[in-house]
Amino acid sequence: MTDVLQAVLIMVLVAVLVFLIVRLIPGDPAQQVLGQKATPRAVAALRHQLGLDRSLPAQLWSYFTGLLHGRMGSSLVEQGVTVSSLVLSGLGVTLTVVAATVVLSVAAGVPAGLWSVLSRLPGLDVGVRGLSVVLLASPPFFVGLLLILVFSLELHALPAGGWGAHAAADARYLLLPAVALSCYLGPVIVRATRQSALAAARQPFVEATLARGISPRRVVLAHILPNSLLPLITLVGLNIGWLISGAVVVEAVFALPGIGQVLVQAVSELDYTVIQGVAIVTALVVVLANLLADVAYTVVDPRIRHGR
Amino acid sequence: MSVLAGTGAPAGRARRALMFSGVRRAVGRSAAVRAGGGLLILIIGACVLVPVFWPDATNAFVTAPFAPPSLAHPFGSDDLGRDVFVRTLAGGRIDIAVAAAVVAISCTAGTIIGACAGSSKRRWASLTVARLVDAFIAFPYLVTILVLVVIVGPSAQIGPAPRGLTAVLIAFLVLGWTFYARLARAEAMTIRQRDYIVAAEILGYPRRKIIFRHILPGVVPVTIAYAVADAILTMGALSSFAFLGVGVQPPTPEWGAIMYEGRAYLDSAWWITVCPGLLLALTGFALSLLADGLLRGADD
Repeated sequence: MTDVLQAVLIMVLVAVLVFLIVRLIPGDPAQQVLGQKATPRAVAALRHQLGLDRSLPAQLWSYFTGLLHGRMGSSLVEQGVTVSSLVLSGLGVTLTVVAATVVLSVAAGVPAGLWSVLSRLPGLDVGVRGLSVVLLASPPFFVGLLLILVFSLELHALPAGGWGAHAAADARYLLLPAVALSCYLGPVIVRATRQSALAAARQPFVEATLARGISPRRVVLAHILPNSLLPLITLVGLNIGWLISGAVVVEAVFALPGIGQVLVQAVSELDYTVIQGVAIVTALVVVLANLLADVAYTVVDPRIRHGR
Repeated sequence: MSVLAGTGAPAGRARRALMFSGVRRAVGRSAAVRAGGGLLILIIGACVLVPVFWPDATNAFVTAPFAPPSLAHPFGSDDLGRDVFVRTLAGGRIDIAVAAAVVAISCTAGTIIGACAGSSKRRWASLTVARLVDAFIAFPYLVTILVLVVIVGPSAQIGPAPRGLTAVLIAFLVLGWTFYARLARAEAMTIRQRDYIVAAEILGYPRRKIIFRHILPGVVPVTIAYAVADAILTMGALSSFAFLGVGVQPPTPEWGAIMYEGRAYLDSAWWITVCPGLLLALTGFALSLLADGLLRGADD
């Protein structure tokens, strides 16, 4: 319960921060949007549309009630387009990329981490660790460019960018961005898996199961693996913010119509309402992801549920 | 008290020794730290010195456009016939200097804010800092930076920083301290409970002295270890700004800007994009080695 309260508190703080930030813009946002040559009348009209001509508390009130109803105003540049429709269409693409990245990173990272700890092959552990250091050091956008160079331009196997018309076609467009972003998340998961597998392997119950004659493979799959999967829930939750940041850049490289592209366009056009909407919605996604990770952890791990 | 009086100088030395003992131990023992540090010094040295002595200027049109890598031009030339090698090394100065400055300032400010908040007796002060940091960190990093760049205005300019860089720098600094403050606060809260802090309080030491002389030395190794990892993130973020339409403006060379310019010619002249990217990754690799070794040093 305290988790939920804290999350709500942070969301309120986030909304207030965004509210203040737009009011911090030096000069008059309306003037900036319209340019120096705008008539005073046009500026006054835009100020009215933005609600800037009212008192600060009144602005804050209407802003909050609007947010609670899911209203975030309409784009200043594209007439008649609501901020929520822009943000939600972008968010769908971005979260698809993020979800694919998580699946890919877990599918590759967990076996790699377990294998490097448990295998007796000399050098495997060093190799896996070295590879993860190299991948972690390469920014996702550079990996993305390399992938385009190899798989799109040389091998002509996958598209260099864009987005499909329907879900089945999206998969082809999704693969390279997700691989690029996995170069950030994958090594993080390999490291965490290594650490928790090492810790789990040292527990007395593992020795006990081995002593009872249960096959090592079964011990790994039934006892060590679940124990090393648990911390990953928190880890992925904590990394959602970084993944969205990474996705913003990867989207720019692969020309995906995600929230990053919405934001970049809004930034270049000084579309304040859209910028405000993107900031709030992405922050809410991060807070919700952290909350979900906390809740999921208590559901999955009986020790935490009953331990208190 | 009289025993302790007059030992200011040795105590200062001892404090400094304590503050950096974790770091120094890690440097002395770990091969990773030495390899990473050596590689980093090599890269920084090359970025600072080579453009001074290289025959081609960074913005001069010295050869045919899209010339592949050769002995005279190890990284080839770009669409305007500029030498990519010298541009890459000169560009590295910006990336490395910005990362170093941002990390140094953020680390110092965040460590002090976090240590003060964590050791404060006033619960509300500590909690206010914690919640503020939570709210800042809730925004995805790049989203916050882009929003801040808009607020500062991309054309703002302070001092000698190249056009477009000032807004990015300010944005980095507004956000940077938060991670350090969170780490430092958590560490200070555990140190505050220790017996020697309680003893210092009973002895009537002033608050400031307790924080700076007794709590801070325990906090610094933790934040410094994170600072090296933060430098990788800062460099990665800075070089990705060109792809988002903010940051250093052409013709000033910067790794991300060079890669962005080369992206359009990826199929015919891969070297414009790949060479700066490899140097960026190599710098990140050196810093990872350093961070790994330091973290291990701070642990024991």
